[in-house]
Amino acid sequence: MLTEYAFWLLSFIAVFSGIATIISKNPVYSVLYLILTFFSIAGHYFLMNAQFLAAVHIIVYAGAIMVLFLYVIMMLNLNQLEVEKRSNILKMLAVASAGLLLVILSGAAHTADALHVNPNKVSPAGMVEDLGIALYRNYLLPFELASILFLAAMVGAVYLSKKNLNETQA
Amino acid sequence: MIILLISALLGVALLALEIFKLRAFMMPLMLLSFMGILAGTVIQWGMSENILNQNMMMMDAFALKSIAILTILASFWLVLQHKNIQATGNGADLYALIAFSFCGALLMTNFTNMVMLFLAIEILSIPLYVLAASNRGNRISNEAGFKYFLLGSVASAILLFGIALIYGATASFDLYVIHDFIAANSTNYLVLTGMGMILTGFAFKISAAPFHFWAPDVYQGAPTPITGWMATVVKGAAILGMYRLFAGAFESGLGFFNGAIAIMVMLTLIIANGMATLQANVKRMLAFSGVSHAGFLLACILIPGFNSQPLMFYVLSYGIASLLSFYVIQSVGQQIGEELHAFDGLAQKSPFTAAIMSLALLSMAGIPPLAGFFGKYYVISGLMGHYTWLTIIMILTSVVAMYYYLKVIFAMYGKNNNGHDFADGNRWALILGGIALIALFALSTLI
Repeated sequence: MLTEYAFWLLSFIAVFSGIATIISKNPVYSVLYLILTFFSIAGHYFLMNAQFLAAVHIIVYAGAIMVLFLYVIMMLNLNQLEVEKRSNILKMLAVASAGLLLVILSGAAHTADALHVNPNKVSPAGMVEDLGIALYRNYLLPFELASILFLAAMVGAVYLSKKNLNETQA
Repeated sequence: MIILLISALLGVALLALEIFKLRAFMMPLMLLSFMGILAGTVIQWGMSENILNQNMMMMDAFALKSIAILTILASFWLVLQHKNIQATGNGADLYALIAFSFCGALLMTNFTNMVMLFLAIEILSIPLYVLAASNRGNRISNEAGFKYFLLGSVASAILLFGIALIYGATASFDLYVIHDFIAANSTNYLVLTGMGMILTGFAFKISAAPFHFWAPDVYQGAPTPITGWMATVVKGAAILGMYRLFAGAFESGLGFFNGAIAIMVMLTLIIANGMATLQANVKRMLAFSGVSHAGFLLACILIPGFNSQPLMFYVLSYGIASLLSFYVIQSVGQQIGEELHAFDGLAQKSPFTAAIMSLALLSMAGIPPLAGFFGKYYVISGLMGHYTWLTIIMILTSVVAMYYYLKVIFAMYGKNNNGHDFADGNRWALILGGIALIALFALSTLI
């Protein structure tokens, strides 16, 4: 019973803050509402026993990406909303493509079989433990190589932003 | 395993050397590691190793041969270019990035799992985006890096989409499972769409037309040593990985794409050779010539059966000739300029460099005693009877290619000295490359 109340509460917050993200005039408020949306979606993941996904969702989206958004907005000083004039053709195209997406989504929702999940049975897929076993046993090699990839990306980023670079290049 | 460990740790070790201010040891360490990898391929020869028994990587005969070829090219690149890299003053970063991308290049040749393929492609490309922009003071280099990054990430996304579709159809990333699935259902549209998207992503990476638009700008804008690396080791690794995937795991579904690949080869050869004749900048001309060689490399996939010998020989012969010519362009570009008239009368100033450059260009044009001729010969004879129309286009466009290669040779020998001084640079490495171009055909049965 409690989870049902939690579900409705989280859904209300998610939908409300989602709409508020779009309609609020100040970009900073918009970003803050988006963070709220992410938190409520992470709450849904918790309800579905996907703890790891919930934690990663908060860390990656609310933590890293949204801070980046805020940072960019404040850096570029976009506080004042500037409404661009868009041509009518562009508006019509936007409506048409959004309508197409709606048709596809509703068609898919109609025809696709809903996944039958027993909410009382705890699925192991979302638990940190099972994820860790999969990563460190079956996918050990890709996991280690991903660290090489990140190291390479980091070296590259540092190189491109280093200050005291010897600029007498070939 | 030892090959994998050396290549993965090399980049880290180079960074450590920089911390301890042991810059002088970087180049020897890199060369030593390359030799170690080469020795590793010899030791492991004849044994297939399934690394960690995870069905992620298989060091089989194809992988070992490819690794040996890529390592030879990388060592030759290092021997030729190490002074130019050190002259930038940022040797540690550049060497480390090169080492990381080399690790990715090796991974491209031995994956048996789609996850590994994607990681390998990313490890190969991400350092390159930085390397292309590594001449930070230069606007054109920055543009090259940015362009390469944007287009490269779109190509990676398309490739990833293709992998996802194939996973959707087969429920597995394992290439053996995928191979058996395609053999049983060769007209599954989900698989075919996925294959098409992977083909597109790879065609971008090897710069085959109509996905080649980035290549001339990036090759011209990037610092010349990096261009040499991209045009040889990286392109070779990408085509070897593509061959492993398409001629190996996807072989039963390949029939659907043969026509498309043949048309891509045709477009690549015609567009690249046509554009190359119009260029006044020799570096840009060689960039287009590099695109045209991608046509030959791609054509190897059409050769029936899993016969990788033509492809490997082509990668090696084109790679050595290309490294030599980019080295000469680097030294001429540094001392005089990259335009065609910078090469005027080079034979009078330095008969040695002019001779090596001519050798490299003639090899790329496919003149008989040189390695490039045998490379083209194996590809064309493999296709003869199956794609005869394509071989005719290959021969005709090779004649066009002869025109622009000879333009440079004519400028070096036929025109008057333009009055600039010129110093040779790394003589011994150039001699080594020249000998390799002449003697390589003797090794063609070994590959």
